[in-house]
Amino acid sequence: MSQLALIIEDDEDLASIFAEALRGVGFEVELVADGKSAQERLKNGVPPFLILLDMHLPHVSGADLLTNIIKKDQRFAKTIVIITTADARMGEAYTEQVDFVMIKPISFVQLRDLTSRLMPKEQ
Amino acid sequence: MRAYINQLLDVPSSDPDEARRGRLLNILLLGVLIAALLGLISILLNALRAKTSISDPEVQVLLGGIVIFTFGIIVIYQMNRRLSGRWAALLFLLLLTIIFVFTDSPQELVDGRSLFLFTLPIAFSSLILAPQASFLFATISSAIIAWLATSIGLSVNVFVVSGFFSLALVSWLSARSLEHALKELRVINANLDQVVIERTQELAKSLERERIEAGRNQAILNSIADGVVVFDTEWNAILANPALRAMLEIPTELIVSKNFRDLIEHPRLSPKSRHLLYAMMEHDTQPPSFRIEWDKKTLSISAAQVYDNSKDKHTNIGTVTVFRDFTREAEVEKLKSTFVAIVSHELRTPLNAILGYAEMFKESVYGPMNDKQVNMAERIMKNTQRLLGLINDLLDQAQMEAGKLTIQMAPVHPAELLENLHSVMDQIAHEKRLRLTSEIDDALPEVLNGDGARLQQILVNLVNNAIKFTDQGTVHVRLFSPFDRKWSIEVSDTGSGIPENELPYIFETFRQVEGGATRVHGGFGLGLSIVKQLVNLMSGDIRVDSTIDVGTIFIVTLPLVVPAENKEKWRNL
Repeated sequence: MSQLALIIEDDEDLASIFAEALRGVGFEVELVADGKSAQERLKNGVPPFLILLDMHLPHVSGADLLTNIIKKDQRFAKTIVIITTADARMGEAYTEQVDFVMIKPISFVQLRDLTSRLMPKEQ
Repeated sequence: MRAYINQLLDVPSSDPDEARRGRLLNILLLGVLIAALLGLISILLNALRAKTSISDPEVQVLLGGIVIFTFGIIVIYQMNRRLSGRWAALLFLLLLTIIFVFTDSPQELVDGRSLFLFTLPIAFSSLILAPQASFLFATISSAIIAWLATSIGLSVNVFVVSGFFSLALVSWLSARSLEHALKELRVINANLDQVVIERTQELAKSLERERIEAGRNQAILNSIADGVVVFDTEWNAILANPALRAMLEIPTELIVSKNFRDLIEHPRLSPKSRHLLYAMMEHDTQPPSFRIEWDKKTLSISAAQVYDNSKDKHTNIGTVTVFRDFTREAEVEKLKSTFVAIVSHELRTPLNAILGYAEMFKESVYGPMNDKQVNMAERIMKNTQRLLGLINDLLDQAQMEAGKLTIQMAPVHPAELLENLHSVMDQIAHEKRLRLTSEIDDALPEVLNGDGARLQQILVNLVNNAIKFTDQGTVHVRLFSPFDRKWSIEVSDTGSGIPENELPYIFETFRQVEGGATRVHGGFGLGLSIVKQLVNLMSGDIRVDSTIDVGTIFIVTLPLVVPAENKEKWRNL
């Protein structure tokens, strides 16, 4: 069974590039394009194996999603969280709370290599 | 009544001596008139008691004398007031002397009870005519006495005559001293008057000057476009100019003579601004200039203590506060930061996408690519990265200009800085066939306080710059501690060097050596300018040492602070 990766990113192109990188290493990918939908998805859907969260989202910010849902809900205890931001300062502020911080511009290769390391090895 | 008598007695004259003599004469006239009237009454009373008869020729002569005398007095009084005081006095004295001749028997006048009568004109004359006139009347009196004595067959009493002259002398002396004393007094008075007049004029002048000056200050205050309000030490507003009224759009009564607290509590002021203003009142906790929000306006406020330095004093007498309408500037600033935010997001996001897609081509995600295609993808990536770098530089510059770029200190590992530097710059150096080498001095602590991201930026910019201007050889980075409590980043290259006359300008914004270098090397020329500004923000300094065709060395020196938890470890090294 392939692992589920949830990409929360409002830019269509970036989302498609990220999705391609993750699919390339074998993830099943689900895309959410704004904060509000992400809120719904996180509350109701299956907890993913990995979340790639953009910190700058319309409606509900990535920071809100992170502190109010992902960090509070026990269902996400085992979920690997990677945040993406263009603001290096902001990224630094969250290093303790998440597994990885990626500063934009994010390289396709960089994301692919990182997530491939995170992918559980086949038994 | 008293005023009426005074008016009756006074003689109008410009000469104070004449007025005094005239008044004295009038008093004497009044006295003599009263005496004459009393004489008339006693004659009439005697006639009523039938002791004497009015028809008695002696009584009739007496009555006639009194009437003529009274008439004479009135004439003299009028003469005194209207014509000449001197002549009136002389006439009066002569009249008095003549009357005395007929008041008693020659025997009594010459050598008896009525002898004293002739002393009166002598004494009066020195007072009402002139001081020396006493001698004239002493002579007249002596002549009369001598004539009377001879007429009744007596010899002239020499003692009486010498007595008359002695009296004249005394009268003359006392009247003269009196006149002198009065004259001196008048001179003193006149001087005093002059002084008073001068002082009054001076006072009037200085009051006028003050009024003009106050008026001028008021005019200046009124024409200043900034709002000015002055508070006393208790923060009561003592004056405010019309510009402030217009700026705050509230009547003066709500500002002047009110306490500053009343203004601070005004509902148009935002709560945040209220805190700032209260902080200003508490003293010294505010920067000298800050901004507040009043309704929809943004006002910049600067406050300064006012000191009185006059008379060797140095006391605080209050605060002068200047309000400036900053609304437009604030809007522009807001617009600028919005613009910066939009640029930051809207420009970088598509570039990130271009970069990602190019990478996917290069990585042959959708099927195999030939070498030329891969090379093209690499070129797209490189150019996109350059564009991203330029945008980042512009954003940094904009943020620094807006004073929004801040330094955040945290523990930093110098080794990590170099590691990251190599991961970013090795490829670029390699492409130009340059060697990028680095070293860390043993004396440098493993961990030190700094802004990691900004230090990385300084390193990348300096190395980028070195690579850009070096065609062959090595770019070397050295981290070391030159002396106590300082640490340095040194970037040296074997490049073309910087001409000496260009050295002072290399840290200027949008500047590249020889102006045209942009076309050869690319970039805005912001790299070094940003480095310098960052170094300044970190309280450090940057030096450059360059030799043409040998190379250039940049040395950044920063304060060395070791995080508390690492201090022990560092000492033990």
